[in-house]
Amino acid sequence: MENTNEKLRIIYGDGSLGISGSGFHYIFSYGRGGLESLVINGREWLYREPKPTFWRATTDNDRGNGFSKKSLQWLGADMFIDIKNISVRVNDKLIEFPGPPANNKYTGNEYADKAEVAYEYQTITIPAASVKVRYIVRSDGSITVNVHYAGNSSLPDLPAMGLRFIMPTAAAGYEYEGLSGETYPDRMAGGVSGRYKIEGMPVTPYLTPQDCGVHMDTDWLEIIRSTTKNNAENRKENFRIKICSIDKPFAFSCLPYTAEELENATHIEELPPPRRTVLSILGAVRGVGGIDSWGQDVETKYHIPAGRDIRFSFMITGV
Amino acid sequence: MQADINWLDDPEVFRTGQLLPHSDHRFYKNYDEVKNEKSSFVQTLNGSWQFHFSKNPMTRPEKFFAENFDSSSFGIIKVPGHIELAGYDKIHYINTLYPWEGHFYRRPAYSMGPDKKEEGMFSKAEDNPVGSYIKKFALKPEFFGKKVRIRFDGVEEAMFVWLNGNFLGYAEDSFTPSEFDLTPYIKKGENKLAVEVFKRSTAAFLEDQDFFRFFGIFRDVKLIAQPEVHVEDLLIEPKVTDNFQDGDLNIHCKISVGDAAAGVRFIVKDRDDKILYEKEQQAGNNIKIDGVVFKQVHLWDNAAPYLYRLFIELFRADGTLLEIVPYEFGFRRIEIKDKLILLNGKRLIINGVNRHEWSAETGRAITYQDMKRDVDIIKNNNINAVRTCHYPDQDIWYRLCDEHGIYVMAENNLESHGSWQKAGEVEPSYNVPGSLPEWRAVVLDRAKNNYELLKNHPSIIFWSLGNESYAGDNIEAMNKYYKQTDSSRLVHYEGVVRNRKYDGVISDVESRMYASPDEIADYLSNDPQKPFILCEYMHNMGNSLGGMSSYIRLIDCFPMYHGGFIWDFIDQALLVEDELTGQKVLRYGGDFDDRPSDYEFSGDGLLFADRTEKPAMQEVRHYYGKYK
Repeated sequence: MENTNEKLRIIYGDGSLGISGSGFHYIFSYGRGGLESLVINGREWLYREPKPTFWRATTDNDRGNGFSKKSLQWLGADMFIDIKNISVRVNDKLIEFPGPPANNKYTGNEYADKAEVAYEYQTITIPAASVKVRYIVRSDGSITVNVHYAGNSSLPDLPAMGLRFIMPTAAAGYEYEGLSGETYPDRMAGGVSGRYKIEGMPVTPYLTPQDCGVHMDTDWLEIIRSTTKNNAENRKENFRIKICSIDKPFAFSCLPYTAEELENATHIEELPPPRRTVLSILGAVRGVGGIDSWGQDVETKYHIPAGRDIRFSFMITGV
Repeated sequence: MQADINWLDDPEVFRTGQLLPHSDHRFYKNYDEVKNEKSSFVQTLNGSWQFHFSKNPMTRPEKFFAENFDSSSFGIIKVPGHIELAGYDKIHYINTLYPWEGHFYRRPAYSMGPDKKEEGMFSKAEDNPVGSYIKKFALKPEFFGKKVRIRFDGVEEAMFVWLNGNFLGYAEDSFTPSEFDLTPYIKKGENKLAVEVFKRSTAAFLEDQDFFRFFGIFRDVKLIAQPEVHVEDLLIEPKVTDNFQDGDLNIHCKISVGDAAAGVRFIVKDRDDKILYEKEQQAGNNIKIDGVVFKQVHLWDNAAPYLYRLFIELFRADGTLLEIVPYEFGFRRIEIKDKLILLNGKRLIINGVNRHEWSAETGRAITYQDMKRDVDIIKNNNINAVRTCHYPDQDIWYRLCDEHGIYVMAENNLESHGSWQKAGEVEPSYNVPGSLPEWRAVVLDRAKNNYELLKNHPSIIFWSLGNESYAGDNIEAMNKYYKQTDSSRLVHYEGVVRNRKYDGVISDVESRMYASPDEIADYLSNDPQKPFILCEYMHNMGNSLGGMSSYIRLIDCFPMYHGGFIWDFIDQALLVEDELTGQKVLRYGGDFDDRPSDYEFSGDGLLFADRTEKPAMQEVRHYYGKYK
């Protein structure tokens, strides 16, 4: 990906927009409503399309103060979402949506310096809220991701707001620069800044599985995998993908399970063997609270009010 | 004296035949033993005991204590340990409701009227399992001819004891030692000790702590021989002068003296083994040395827990050494002045934690290694105080706290939560101990057991009357007992906030649990009468401990805010084999078909049950490090 003079090759498919370059190939699906394939150096990084995420597995404090019930709509929103619109820009210009037959005007040799696919999602909450996810691909293969949740104050506070990537196999570990340990907005003063390497994807072994593993204030993150699902892949080595902050640090969690999987377990041993990597890049994190576990709310400044817009950005690159 | 099973039903019978409670001093034959902390006067009875489990009192082998009883059908149990964890009885966790909730209807004796004695409530109860223990032992030859006592450091929840068919006595108060004199019945050959332990008695109403409901002999059992002259009880009163420079020491000793004349020598040394004080005199039953002045003492506190060493030597007229009692003590002053809690003249900040004794493998039967690990974790994370929730710990714990400068709130074995709080509401219609005269002596006994055992520990700066037991005349009487007995410590009790008319007569401090930062600021901004502490705060259940900064901020805003004790130190969960995979996994309430339960509510520790730190610990280390 070092050859920055090279242009992007654009494949105006019937069901997707393919974008490739030296060492990378991305497929933005229209029908599936998201980035379907993210291949770097010949290895696939996605199992399912990244989608906005809103839920966190109920913590003991969430259960005690009824937050999960109050915010229940976001559980549905986390599991199911509608795609409302897809738009494509090439070299910063909005083009006619390049689906069939409009794509007949293109050829097999289409190139650009920059391409952007924007997905506009609508939550199944009542009322609905919209989330726009824009992927901007530059000729070096870097993908800038901009997420914009448009606030709607008729909705309950959010448990979380982020973009969730599900990767095909379990990560061997991850490395990041940020704060030590598991941190949340109301519990991060003890986090020590530094560069940390984590083996595997530890699920904090709380007695009942619940939201865990959030890392606040992260500058960059590399996910390390050693396996793929590609039967023809013969390389036996670790490989990485990198998430970098833009403008401001981000929060993330990297776990083998979705919030819904964690939600349904009463003991850690009930969780299935780790098979995939669930990476959530979080634009907003709710505090965990701690005054008590039977009613006291998280302090207001650590809520995520639904009426406020949430914008966050990060960049994905190979390593 | 004969054992009477009806004592189980009678709140006015809680100790029979026991020796008086006394200080936890150790005693040795010579200085080699002192150095190795191994006393030849002690013979452990820990290990394998014969055991029979009965589902209820009606089916128990009543005469198992008899010398000619055929116990060949008995099984084996390890002592110390819980009967449930040995597989005999169902493991059960429940928080505030009494453990018989939904199974049996009970009201404490006399709570519904002076004639409501509730006879047979426990002695004839279907849900009162019985552990019949037999230990056959031979006395060490060195013990022959000496007075020998047996000491049970902890037995839940009521027990009868026999030796060689002779009844010795009865004990409740599960978390303080019970001692019985064996001398009249002990034999040189094989002796048969028989202990009958009941899961329930009237003590059950007072031991409704938020924990797994175990029973059995769960702490050490030992035989203790005493030399012909022996320090029976020791009170060390180190006082700090008003200039906080010098010390003033009283030593009071109760000595059991034999027929022959004997001498006693008192030696006080500093950490460098320099002798600061020495006095020799004739041994007598009551020796009081008062007002020994020590110039320029090192004060004891968290940062520098300086301990002086007292040695009491007892010897025959010819100079033969009979017994040495070593005791480490510290000079420190805890007081309330101008509504502020001062330690050695400086405002006290409690960066504390509540600590249950817990091991995922063995429940509340924990080892010295577990305790040492806990001390390391406490020190590494800037925690400076421990509340022994909600019962006295093994006595060695307080010694560790002395050595490491950990401030202790020493709590009595008392919680009657289910008698006054129901469905979250205050409903004290059958509260015990309340103001019921029949329930007074038993709680005073608990206060006394706690005091007498632990009175010499500099680490203890608060006596705590108990936990969540509401407030009435009897808790007031406990408060009065401590105030009259011990001027060197403060008295704490939170439950008085539920019954404010006792405000003036219970607790030196305004103590709350789980008050929000706003509520605390509100109290402290409105003409507060007592300094404020949180005996429980930051409920660290699961992924929690958010918002601690709002509490820490109060330290700078309000001088009368003295910090608090996080709830709590370690998750209470049990390591068991997964029925599917065979892996060791942690299980909690409800996982043993135990109903009703409070399930994962016992998982509130800064540590997981396996003693690894939860992620929240770094936050504690950070904030507690700011006010060391």
